[in-house]
Amino acid sequence: MKGLTALFLGIFGTFAFSWLGLTVVPSMQIGHLDPQMDEEGNDPYPAPQSGLAERGRRVYVANGCVYCHSQQVRADYAASDIERKWGERRSAPRDYIFERPVLLGKMRMGPDLANIGKRAPADDAKAPAPGSTNSTAPANAAAAPANAAAAPANAAAAPANAAAAPASAAAAPASAAAAPANAAAAPANAAAAPANAASTQAGVTSTQANAAPASASAAPTPAKAAAAPAVAAQPPSGAPLPPGAPSSGEAPSAGGTGTAPLPPGAGPGPSPAAAVAANTAAVTTAPTTTEGASNEPLQYSAAWHHRHLYDPRSVTWHSNMPSFKFLYEKRRITGQPAANALKLGGPAAAPDGWEIVPTYDAEALVAYLMSLDHSHALKEVKSAAPVSPPAPGKAVK
Amino acid sequence: MTPAEIPLKAPGSSVATTTATEVTRGDVEQVERALIDASTRVPVLMFYTSAIVWLLIGTLLGGLTSFKSHMPDMFGGVSYLTWGRIRPAHMDVMLFGWASMVGIGTAIWLMARLSRTTLRHPLLLVAGAAFWNVGVLLGVIGIFAGESTGYQWLEFPPYAALILFVAYSLIVSWAVLMFRFRREGHIYITQWYLLAAFLWFPWLYGATQMMLFVVPVQGVMQAAVNWWFANNFMFLWLGSIALGTAYYMIPKVIGRPVYSYHLAAIGFWTYALFASWTGMQRLVDGPFPAWMITASIAAAIFMIIPVVTVGLNHHMTMRGSFGLMRYSPTLRFTVFGAFAFTAFCLVGLLTSLRSMARYVQFTEASVGYSHLGLYAFYTMTMFGSMYYIVPRLVGREWRYASMIKLHFWASAYGVGLMVLMLLVGGLVQGKSMDNTALAFTESTQSIMPYLRGRSLSGMLLTIAHFIFAIHFGMMLFGLGRTASVPTFLNPQNEEEARAGV
Repeated sequence: MKGLTALFLGIFGTFAFSWLGLTVVPSMQIGHLDPQMDEEGNDPYPAPQSGLAERGRRVYVANGCVYCHSQQVRADYAASDIERKWGERRSAPRDYIFERPVLLGKMRMGPDLANIGKRAPADDAKAPAPGSTNSTAPANAAAAPANAAAAPANAAAAPANAAAAPASAAAAPASAAAAPANAAAAPANAAAAPANAASTQAGVTSTQANAAPASASAAPTPAKAAAAPAVAAQPPSGAPLPPGAPSSGEAPSAGGTGTAPLPPGAGPGPSPAAAVAANTAAVTTAPTTTEGASNEPLQYSAAWHHRHLYDPRSVTWHSNMPSFKFLYEKRRITGQPAANALKLGGPAAAPDGWEIVPTYDAEALVAYLMSLDHSHALKEVKSAAPVSPPAPGKAVK
Repeated sequence: MTPAEIPLKAPGSSVATTTATEVTRGDVEQVERALIDASTRVPVLMFYTSAIVWLLIGTLLGGLTSFKSHMPDMFGGVSYLTWGRIRPAHMDVMLFGWASMVGIGTAIWLMARLSRTTLRHPLLLVAGAAFWNVGVLLGVIGIFAGESTGYQWLEFPPYAALILFVAYSLIVSWAVLMFRFRREGHIYITQWYLLAAFLWFPWLYGATQMMLFVVPVQGVMQAAVNWWFANNFMFLWLGSIALGTAYYMIPKVIGRPVYSYHLAAIGFWTYALFASWTGMQRLVDGPFPAWMITASIAAAIFMIIPVVTVGLNHHMTMRGSFGLMRYSPTLRFTVFGAFAFTAFCLVGLLTSLRSMARYVQFTEASVGYSHLGLYAFYTMTMFGSMYYIVPRLVGREWRYASMIKLHFWASAYGVGLMVLMLLVGGLVQGKSMDNTALAFTESTQSIMPYLRGRSLSGMLLTIAHFIFAIHFGMMLFGLGRTASVPTFLNPQNEEEARAGV
């Protein structure tokens, strides 16, 4: 070594080169992205997540889910992710701009979760909506008010399987009075964006739907507010179904069991999702019956997630996912069984007189899972498959 | 002075030579070295002892992680023992508790020796070690309590990271000061690597903490920063220490100078340049601009240059002396580590090519790759250095050759089996994952036998580590041999060994 100066300069120089090249420069390139909007400034994507989902992200991080589950869909030419129905297009930097920490993952001992929320069943499609056939879009248009009301609750409180009844009990009256507010909150839920579109058609003031990014970030607050009662309330089920929620027609039968029925909006919900869900169901062998008939919750529904988290091997017998029993509370039934108690069969089931209910962390975790959705079209990404929710008036490249 | 001029002698006997009537230059140097060793004694032993305690904790955590990955219902109902918490705890204990602490210990000793200066105020280093231990302990408790940050290898909550950083500042300033007051004009290869490691680490750790927690970068850039950190932690921090150690130990033990300084210089600078640019290939096909990935793949390919030059240099230095591996524990571990370095970089190169990455991305192969680097290369080299340094600190020789042999073979077979299981298993897993004719669960099923094999290898490593810890404890409590010759693995005359091979 010639001189000390050269040594020091070299040591600093090489490292500065790497630091600038791999962190600073890319950060200038992709580190300052804004949500994408259509020409009218509508339909911002992505939007920040609700408070409950953010809390769920902490639970996800704390328990190291990221060590087995990735959250990125690779391009169709590079890998079989899209073929596996883990997503319809490859993930792009813009999908993650609100994520902290970002949970791309490096291992797939379990399936990719980038679109797990999107892949949840959309019950509305299966529900015999009044005056509609199996074509989903009209069905939704018909059920638009209900959806609009359900969407915000859904954004934050999807896991609140707090029987559709209480959930909508909380939300529906609000929706009667505050339908515009709910519609404004809808963009907060990326998945609910189409619902938003539907509700605008249904005559809700469209000005509020023109959520600029600023208001989009403010939106979770009302959404959360709407959700709060749904989560907090675990009253005996069977609360009277509010009028104006026709789409939850199947809920009473489910609620009658006093366990964990799917709220009508358990999925990301609204119309176009149904088409995807149908696709998903085709490949994932989801149970076809509704949860009311058999005890099996639909795959990737909130109830399914709870059951899967509590006892993974009751869902997939050879799964090597650890059980997250510690996120659930086993308690003696006092009075009426809790509406959100888990339905479990076999050895995992609670003994008579006992029930297993999710803790707040479990609810948050499932809310987070249900919120994962990269399906929204992005200008910079070519979609491999036809994009299911084409935003109104947006050309998909 | 080149290290080769130092004869293979125990420090215990060297002190005695001063009483002889004829005092040669070599005798003076022996005394000087003994004094330097004595000055580093307390801090280095403190680092070593802490490192070994963390090694045992990390080993048990690793074993639990391994068993739970194929026996998921083990301790299922306990939140702080869930798989997703033990795994980062295992990784971080190993990285910050074991690897960093043993590396710092060895680096301080090497730096003092090569700078030919005694360590002043060793108590400050002891304080640094204590702080570092507190930082690791708090960090691990944080992970168990569910406060992980969610960034790979950086799971320690920020408050623990802060303590680590303070501790590190205490430590590194000392090492650099020692270099500043060196009495040797010539700067040996090992010192390049150590100086570089000591200067890179704070930048690396500080910049990462800044970019993730203080002024966080947006979205996927966090993952890029995370991988940049993880990769450079491996290469520029731990890897530099291990390579520097190998450059010292190999010539020292066999008693001849390094084959070529020019090769060493080429190896060092290309290593600094290319190793620091790898890492993004672990995000291949992810949501990033393609140039980032491609740049890292290119860097991984260019890593051939340092690997070949360093490997060639070691090989030419060793040529004709491979027989000594039969006797010297230090040499045996170090040479194993040097070979593993080559294997590590080659596997890294292969798995980063896009055609291969398609099958190994998101599989256990990445865990295998990490163990190849962190264990087969780094940890084995560090074991080698400890077998050399500890007797010089405690003034005793290792008690049982059989224990050293058992340690070596259990470690070597353990890590060999583990890497084999994970690389092959990962490839099988990736192949079935890529084949959409198979259900996804087929891919996780296909790796199960390999994960059981990994648990077996983990048991071997556990045995190795406990043997080593017991042996080290005996040394610490003065139960080593009081002999004038080092403990050889096999009782043989050194000259014969040289001639024999």
